[in-house]
Amino acid sequence: MKTLNFEAKSIEEAMEHAERTFRINREYITLTTDEKKSMFGLKKHYEVTATVDVDLEALGLKVLKTMFENMGIENVKISHETPEKNEFNFIIESDENPVLIGKNGKTLENIQFYLRNLLNIFTDERVIVFVDIGGYKAHRKKQLEILATKTAKEVAQTKVAVKLDPMNAYERRIIHTKLADWRDVDTKSAGEKQDRHIVIKPKK
Amino acid sequence: MAVNYEKLVSDLVKPLVVHPDDVEVKKLSEDDKLVTVQVLVHQDDLGRVIGKNGRIANAIRTIAYASASREHKKITINIDAF
Repeated sequence: MKTLNFEAKSIEEAMEHAERTFRINREYITLTTDEKKSMFGLKKHYEVTATVDVDLEALGLKVLKTMFENMGIENVKISHETPEKNEFNFIIESDENPVLIGKNGKTLENIQFYLRNLLNIFTDERVIVFVDIGGYKAHRKKQLEILATKTAKEVAQTKVAVKLDPMNAYERRIIHTKLADWRDVDTKSAGEKQDRHIVIKPKK
Repeated sequence: MAVNYEKLVSDLVKPLVVHPDDVEVKKLSEDDKLVTVQVLVHQDDLGRVIGKNGRIANAIRTIAYASASREHKKITINIDAF
Protein backbone atom coordinates (compact mmCIF):
# COMPACT_ATOMS: atom_id res chain seq x y z
CA MET A 1 0.00 0.00 0.00
CA LYS A 2 1.10 3.55 -0.72
CA THR A 3 -0.19 6.72 0.94
CA LEU A 4 0.37 10.40 0.35
CA ASN A 5 -0.90 13.51 2.16
CA PHE A 6 -1.03 16.90 0.49
CA GLU A 7 -3.14 19.99 -0.21
CA ALA A 8 -4.83 20.79 -3.49
CA LYS A 9 -7.12 23.43 -4.93
CA SER A 10 -9.43 21.02 -6.69
CA ILE A 11 -10.19 17.32 -6.80
CA GLU A 12 -8.92 17.06 -10.36
CA GLU A 13 -5.66 18.74 -9.39
CA ALA A 14 -5.39 16.33 -6.45
CA MET A 15 -5.87 13.32 -8.70
CA GLU A 16 -3.29 14.57 -11.18
CA HIS A 17 -0.82 15.18 -8.40
CA ALA A 18 -1.36 11.72 -6.91
CA GLU A 19 -1.08 10.06 -10.31
CA ARG A 20 2.17 11.88 -11.05
CA THR A 21 3.72 11.24 -7.65
CA PHE A 22 2.76 7.57 -7.39
CA ARG A 23 3.29 7.01 -11.08
CA ILE A 24 0.23 4.81 -11.02
CA ASN A 25 -2.90 5.06 -13.13
CA ARG A 26 -5.82 6.80 -11.36
CA GLU A 27 -7.94 3.67 -11.66
CA TYR A 28 -5.97 2.30 -8.71
CA ILE A 29 -5.92 5.48 -6.60
CA THR A 30 -8.46 6.35 -3.90
CA LEU A 31 -8.75 9.94 -2.67
CA THR A 32 -10.11 11.01 0.69
CA THR A 33 -10.66 14.77 0.75
CA ASP A 34 -11.45 17.26 3.42
CA GLU A 35 -12.64 20.68 2.26
CA LYS A 36 -11.13 23.66 4.11
CA LYS A 37 -12.35 27.24 3.73
CA SER A 38 -10.27 30.31 4.42
CA MET A 39 -11.35 32.85 7.01
CA PHE A 40 -13.99 34.66 4.96
CA GLY A 41 -15.01 31.63 3.00
CA LEU A 42 -13.54 33.12 -0.14
CA LYS A 43 -10.93 30.59 -0.95
CA LYS A 44 -11.14 26.90 -0.41
CA HIS A 45 -8.69 24.10 -0.63
CA TYR A 46 -8.67 20.41 0.07
CA GLU A 47 -6.61 18.34 2.41
CA VAL A 48 -6.12 15.14 0.53
CA THR A 49 -5.06 11.64 1.45
CA ALA A 50 -4.35 9.52 -1.58
CA THR A 51 -3.94 5.78 -1.22
CA VAL A 52 -3.10 2.95 -3.54
CA ASP A 53 -4.46 -0.27 -2.20
CA VAL A 54 -4.49 -2.99 -4.80
CA ASP A 55 -5.30 -6.65 -4.23
CA LEU A 56 -1.99 -7.86 -5.63
CA GLU A 57 -2.92 -11.51 -5.64
CA ALA A 58 -6.08 -10.85 -7.66
CA LEU A 59 -4.19 -8.58 -10.05
CA GLY A 60 -1.47 -11.19 -10.55
CA LEU A 61 -4.02 -13.89 -11.24
CA LYS A 62 -5.89 -11.70 -13.71
CA VAL A 63 -2.74 -10.78 -15.62
CA LEU A 64 -1.57 -14.41 -15.81
CA LYS A 65 -4.98 -15.67 -16.94
CA THR A 66 -5.21 -13.02 -19.64
CA MET A 67 -1.70 -13.81 -20.80
CA PHE A 68 -2.34 -17.55 -21.20
CA GLU A 69 -5.69 -16.89 -22.84
CA ASN A 70 -4.04 -14.57 -25.35
CA MET A 71 -1.39 -17.19 -26.05
CA GLY A 72 -4.12 -19.72 -26.77
CA ILE A 73 -2.93 -22.14 -24.09
CA GLU A 74 -5.72 -24.38 -22.92
CA ASN A 75 -6.74 -26.02 -19.65
CA VAL A 76 -4.73 -23.62 -17.54
CA LYS A 77 -5.05 -24.10 -13.81
CA ILE A 78 -3.48 -21.56 -11.50
CA SER A 79 -3.38 -22.26 -7.81
CA HIS A 80 -2.13 -19.51 -5.57
CA GLU A 81 -1.14 -19.03 -2.00
CA THR A 82 0.19 -16.26 0.21
CA PRO A 83 2.50 -17.93 2.74
CA GLU A 84 3.32 -14.55 4.23
CA LYS A 85 2.24 -10.98 3.72
CA ASN A 86 3.51 -9.70 0.37
CA GLU A 87 4.62 -13.15 -0.65
CA PHE A 88 2.72 -14.64 -3.56
CA ASN A 89 3.08 -18.10 -5.04
CA PHE A 90 1.44 -18.96 -8.34
CA ILE A 91 1.54 -22.60 -9.32
CA ILE A 92 0.53 -23.21 -12.91
CA GLU A 93 -0.57 -26.34 -14.75
CA SER A 94 -1.56 -26.38 -18.40
CA ASP A 95 -1.74 -28.47 -21.55
CA GLU A 96 1.47 -26.89 -22.79
CA ASN A 97 3.82 -26.60 -19.84
CA PRO A 98 7.00 -26.92 -21.96
CA VAL A 99 6.06 -23.83 -23.97
CA LEU A 100 5.55 -21.83 -20.81
CA ILE A 101 8.73 -23.10 -19.17
CA GLY A 102 10.98 -22.55 -22.18
CA LYS A 103 14.55 -23.62 -22.73
CA ASN A 104 16.28 -24.02 -19.35
CA GLY A 105 13.27 -22.41 -17.72
CA LYS A 106 13.91 -19.11 -19.46
CA THR A 107 10.29 -18.29 -20.23
CA LEU A 108 9.24 -19.24 -16.71
CA GLU A 109 11.94 -16.96 -15.27
CA ASN A 110 10.72 -14.10 -17.42
CA ILE A 111 7.07 -14.63 -16.51
CA GLN A 112 8.06 -14.47 -12.85
CA PHE A 113 10.25 -11.41 -13.40
CA TYR A 114 7.51 -9.58 -15.27
CA LEU A 115 4.93 -10.38 -12.59
CA ARG A 116 7.22 -9.37 -9.72
CA ASN A 117 7.94 -6.03 -11.37
CA LEU A 118 4.29 -5.44 -12.07
CA LEU A 119 3.16 -6.13 -8.51
CA ASN A 120 5.99 -4.07 -7.05
CA ILE A 121 4.70 -0.97 -8.81
CA PHE A 122 1.65 -0.85 -6.56
CA THR A 123 3.29 -0.97 -3.16
CA ASP A 124 6.20 0.50 -1.22
CA GLU A 125 6.80 -2.78 0.55
CA ARG A 126 8.88 -5.48 -1.04
CA VAL A 127 6.84 -8.09 -2.83
CA ILE A 128 8.09 -11.61 -3.38
CA VAL A 129 6.64 -13.48 -6.32
CA PHE A 130 7.23 -17.14 -7.01
CA VAL A 131 5.94 -18.81 -10.14
CA ASP A 132 6.25 -22.50 -10.93
CA ILE A 133 4.92 -24.37 -13.92
CA GLY A 134 4.27 -28.09 -14.00
CA GLY A 135 6.55 -28.66 -11.02
CA TYR A 136 9.58 -27.51 -13.03
CA LYS A 137 11.28 -25.64 -10.22
CA ALA A 138 10.55 -28.32 -7.64
CA HIS A 139 12.09 -30.92 -9.95
CA ARG A 140 15.04 -28.70 -10.83
CA LYS A 141 15.71 -28.11 -7.15
CA LYS A 142 15.98 -31.85 -6.54
CA GLN A 143 18.34 -32.24 -9.50
CA LEU A 144 20.55 -29.39 -8.33
CA GLU A 145 20.75 -30.80 -4.84
CA ILE A 146 21.82 -34.16 -6.22
CA LEU A 147 24.41 -32.41 -8.40
CA ALA A 148 25.64 -30.39 -5.41
CA THR A 149 26.06 -33.42 -3.17
CA LYS A 150 27.73 -35.47 -5.88
CA THR A 151 30.19 -32.73 -6.81
CA ALA A 152 30.91 -31.87 -3.20
CA LYS A 153 31.83 -35.48 -2.43
CA GLU A 154 34.20 -35.44 -5.38
CA VAL A 155 35.80 -32.18 -4.26
CA ALA A 156 36.18 -33.41 -0.69
CA GLN A 157 37.94 -36.49 -1.94
CA THR A 158 40.21 -35.05 -4.64
CA LYS A 159 40.81 -31.66 -2.97
CA VAL A 160 40.42 -30.05 -6.40
CA ALA A 161 37.96 -27.19 -6.91
CA VAL A 162 35.16 -27.81 -9.41
CA LYS A 163 33.39 -25.16 -11.47
CA LEU A 164 29.69 -25.72 -12.19
CA ASP A 165 27.74 -24.48 -15.21
CA PRO A 166 26.44 -20.90 -15.14
CA MET A 167 23.16 -20.59 -13.22
CA ASN A 168 20.79 -17.87 -12.16
CA ALA A 169 20.66 -16.50 -8.62
CA TYR A 170 17.85 -18.78 -7.52
CA GLU A 171 19.64 -21.91 -8.70
CA ARG A 172 22.95 -20.85 -7.18
CA ARG A 173 21.20 -20.23 -3.91
CA ILE A 174 19.85 -23.79 -3.85
CA ILE A 175 23.42 -25.10 -4.12
CA HIS A 176 24.89 -22.66 -1.57
CA THR A 177 22.15 -23.60 0.89
CA LYS A 178 22.53 -27.32 0.28
CA LEU A 179 26.27 -27.24 0.93
CA ALA A 180 26.30 -24.58 3.65
CA ASP A 181 26.86 -27.01 6.53
CA TRP A 182 29.42 -29.22 4.84
CA ARG A 183 32.68 -29.41 6.74
CA ASP A 184 35.08 -30.15 3.86
CA VAL A 185 33.82 -27.88 1.07
CA ASP A 186 33.13 -24.20 0.49
CA THR A 187 30.94 -22.65 -2.21
CA LYS A 188 31.67 -19.37 -3.96
CA SER A 189 30.05 -17.60 -6.86
CA ALA A 190 32.33 -16.25 -9.58
CA GLY A 191 32.00 -14.63 -12.99
CA GLU A 192 29.70 -11.87 -14.13
CA LYS A 193 26.14 -11.70 -15.43
CA GLN A 194 25.37 -14.57 -17.80
CA ASP A 195 28.55 -16.36 -16.80
CA ARG A 196 27.94 -16.22 -13.02
CA HIS A 197 28.58 -19.71 -11.71
CA ILE A 198 29.42 -21.62 -8.57
CA VAL A 199 32.83 -22.95 -7.70
CA ILE A 200 32.94 -25.71 -5.10
CA LYS A 201 36.29 -25.57 -3.31
CA PRO A 202 37.89 -27.85 -0.76
CA LYS A 203 38.09 -26.28 2.71
CA LYS A 204 41.62 -25.96 4.05
CA MET B 1 -6.25 -20.62 -33.85
CA ALA B 2 -3.98 -17.77 -34.79
CA VAL B 3 -2.60 -15.80 -31.90
CA ASN B 4 -3.47 -12.13 -31.68
CA TYR B 5 0.00 -10.76 -30.93
CA GLU B 6 -1.13 -7.17 -30.61
CA LYS B 7 -3.55 -8.12 -27.86
CA LEU B 8 -1.01 -10.34 -26.11
CA VAL B 9 1.59 -7.57 -26.03
CA SER B 10 -0.88 -4.82 -25.25
CA ASP B 11 -2.32 -6.75 -22.29
CA LEU B 12 1.21 -7.17 -20.95
CA VAL B 13 2.19 -3.53 -21.39
CA LYS B 14 -0.96 -1.79 -20.19
CA PRO B 15 -0.92 -2.88 -16.53
CA LEU B 16 2.65 -1.53 -16.22
CA VAL B 17 2.02 2.01 -17.35
CA VAL B 18 0.57 5.21 -15.91
CA HIS B 19 -1.15 6.08 -19.17
CA PRO B 20 -2.78 2.94 -20.56
CA ASP B 21 -4.85 5.00 -22.98
CA ASP B 22 -1.66 6.11 -24.68
CA VAL B 23 -0.48 2.58 -25.40
CA GLU B 24 -0.59 1.74 -29.06
CA VAL B 25 0.34 -1.67 -30.36
CA LYS B 26 0.48 -2.25 -34.08
CA LYS B 27 1.43 -5.26 -36.11
CA LEU B 28 3.80 -4.02 -38.78
CA SER B 29 4.08 -7.27 -40.65
CA GLU B 30 3.36 -10.96 -40.41
CA ASP B 31 4.27 -13.79 -42.70
CA ASP B 32 4.67 -17.49 -42.03
CA LYS B 33 8.05 -16.95 -40.35
CA LEU B 34 8.21 -13.56 -38.72
CA VAL B 35 5.87 -11.23 -36.89
CA THR B 36 6.89 -7.62 -36.22
CA VAL B 37 5.04 -5.69 -33.57
CA GLN B 38 5.46 -2.02 -32.79
CA VAL B 39 4.69 -0.74 -29.31
CA LEU B 40 4.29 2.98 -28.68
CA VAL B 41 3.87 4.28 -25.14
CA HIS B 42 3.70 7.64 -23.42
CA GLN B 43 7.13 9.26 -22.99
CA ASP B 44 6.90 9.02 -19.19
CA ASP B 45 6.13 5.30 -19.36
CA LEU B 46 9.01 4.25 -21.55
CA GLY B 47 11.28 3.46 -18.61
CA ARG B 48 8.61 1.30 -17.02
CA VAL B 49 8.15 -0.81 -20.10
CA ILE B 50 11.85 -1.18 -20.84
CA GLY B 51 13.05 -1.60 -17.26
CA LYS B 52 16.54 -1.63 -15.82
CA ASN B 53 18.92 -2.99 -18.45
CA GLY B 54 15.90 -3.63 -20.66
CA ARG B 55 14.86 -6.55 -18.53
CA ILE B 56 11.13 -5.91 -18.59
CA ALA B 57 11.21 -5.40 -22.35
CA ASN B 58 13.10 -8.66 -22.59
CA ALA B 59 10.58 -10.43 -20.37
CA ILE B 60 7.77 -9.24 -22.64
CA ARG B 61 9.76 -10.35 -25.68
CA THR B 62 10.44 -13.78 -24.21
CA ILE B 63 6.77 -14.35 -23.42
CA ALA B 64 5.75 -13.25 -26.93
CA TYR B 65 8.54 -15.40 -28.36
CA ALA B 66 7.23 -18.48 -26.54
CA SER B 67 3.79 -17.80 -27.91
CA ALA B 68 5.10 -17.37 -31.45
CA SER B 69 7.19 -20.52 -31.24
CA ARG B 70 3.98 -22.55 -30.96
CA GLU B 71 3.18 -21.40 -34.48
CA HIS B 72 6.80 -21.93 -35.56
CA LYS B 73 7.25 -18.22 -35.94
CA LYS B 74 9.61 -15.63 -34.60
CA ILE B 75 8.56 -12.29 -33.28
CA THR B 76 10.33 -8.98 -32.91
CA ILE B 77 8.93 -6.24 -30.74
CA ASN B 78 10.01 -2.63 -31.13
CA ILE B 79 9.29 -0.40 -28.18
CA ASP B 80 9.34 3.37 -28.46
CA ALA B 81 7.69 6.48 -27.11
CA PHE B 82 5.46 8.90 -29.01
